[in-house]
Amino acid sequence: MAAARWVDFAGQSILHTLVAALVIEALVRLWRVRQPEQRTGFRLLALAWPLLVVPALFFGFPERSDEAFQDARALFAARRWDELTLLGAGLDAWWLAGMVLLGVALFLMDLVPLLRSRAPLPPPFPLEAAAGAPARAREALAEAALALSLRAPPLAFVPEGPPLFYCTGARRPTVVVSRQAVDLLDPAELRCAFAHELSHLERRDPVLGWALMGARALLWFNPVVQILVRALARDSERLADERAALATGDRLALASGLLKLYRASEGRYALPARRNLPLSAALAAPIARARAHDIGLRCRALLDPAPARVRLSAFRFVALAAGLFLLLFFVV
Amino acid sequence: MRAGALGRALGEGAGALWTLALVLGGAAAMLSGLDALPGWLRGEPRGVRRVASVDEAERIMRSRILLPSYFPDSYRWPPSSIRVWREGGGAVALAFDARDGSPALLLAETVSGTGALTAPLLPDSAVIQKQGAALGEGATLSRIVSEDGTLWNELEWTAAGRRFVLRGRGPLDVLMRMARSIHGAGR
Repeated sequence: MAAARWVDFAGQSILHTLVAALVIEALVRLWRVRQPEQRTGFRLLALAWPLLVVPALFFGFPERSDEAFQDARALFAARRWDELTLLGAGLDAWWLAGMVLLGVALFLMDLVPLLRSRAPLPPPFPLEAAAGAPARAREALAEAALALSLRAPPLAFVPEGPPLFYCTGARRPTVVVSRQAVDLLDPAELRCAFAHELSHLERRDPVLGWALMGARALLWFNPVVQILVRALARDSERLADERAALATGDRLALASGLLKLYRASEGRYALPARRNLPLSAALAAPIARARAHDIGLRCRALLDPAPARVRLSAFRFVALAAGLFLLLFFVV
Repeated sequence: MRAGALGRALGEGAGALWTLALVLGGAAAMLSGLDALPGWLRGEPRGVRRVASVDEAERIMRSRILLPSYFPDSYRWPPSSIRVWREGGGAVALAFDARDGSPALLLAETVSGTGALTAPLLPDSAVIQKQGAALGEGATLSRIVSEDGTLWNELEWTAAGRRFVLRGRGPLDVLMRMARSIHGAGR
């Protein structure tokens, strides 16, 4: 395929994802879709757009690339912006170049720290023999697993360093916890935090995380995809919060544990790794603010009762997908 | 009880569709506005496109553009602007400057069909005199005043299944000779 076709493809991919994501975000708010699982479903539609629908439209309907279609039938043709020039290049070319740069920056900002942080974990031990882990951590994990009707996964205990509390492993799911995190949380908070991590493992979120990273790598040029995946990651956290709160019945303990862990870790460990990337210094502060905002939203959501599901969600989903297809067919 | 639940579901479904239609309609209106904006900024209506060369215009229109084989030295080549319009069978307008850089000549032609050539390819003008011209049946010669108040001669005729308009500020005999040379090119 000629280079110009690839440029067209990239332009349409970005534009379609942007429109789809904005429409979906508007509807999620207007339809009051607050339940995280339902939100994830709608946002996955926006992510599916550049992965499945744009290639299908681009290669399945080649007449959309014709001048005749763009001039007479298209609702929006990006080519028209190339008729306005700045420093010898069309505005469409400038827009595309700016978006691609932003996409690459957002992708690298997560990829590089991820690759750098792949330090080997302590070997996971079966629950009965999690050497060195305090008894109350093992008990809390067992209680959380019981509450969720799951088998307790191996626990990796990190005796030193910053407060850590996460799950990992696509093939061998493991919960990682550090001494500082265990010391920080009271028994109820510890049980809720384990329930949160077990909810991730129950939904196979580590696998989903790698799949989403693959989607980001495939669409590295698309900044909207990079932002969408972050939104999906936030939804996944909210979903695990709700599942853990339902299982343990203690929303407040989960909120306070979350807040304690955030306050103990944020700003001290995450930011320095990012400063080696282009634009990272400029973007680090807004990202930290966004993370603080997100933690605030999660805590506030936990202070409220569990959100209700909106009705007719399958009907809404199908109507939205059909409407978007009709609209974006005429956007080239 | 069941009828009430069904009614609520139908009402909710209709409300959801209405909201969806509003959001998609808003998005469509915004996209349409963004599509029209470059033309508006350039002072061109939607559908008119500027191209860089006669070759590009022919490629877009998928047709040869008939040009005069007689082209006096008093005009500059290549055209100062080439604009194509795909609607209504398609048409193209080529503007030429005089040697001193002022607008001097405009050739517009339909690509297929003999429908009238009007806006958006031809600038508005007022006809002050009109008569028949020796360029075949239905050909006319007009004296027109353009928007900036300058006087132009305008020839309009049909040939080779196309409608032509040739406007010029130069001598009438030069304009006639150019018009006839379009026929004579035999393309």
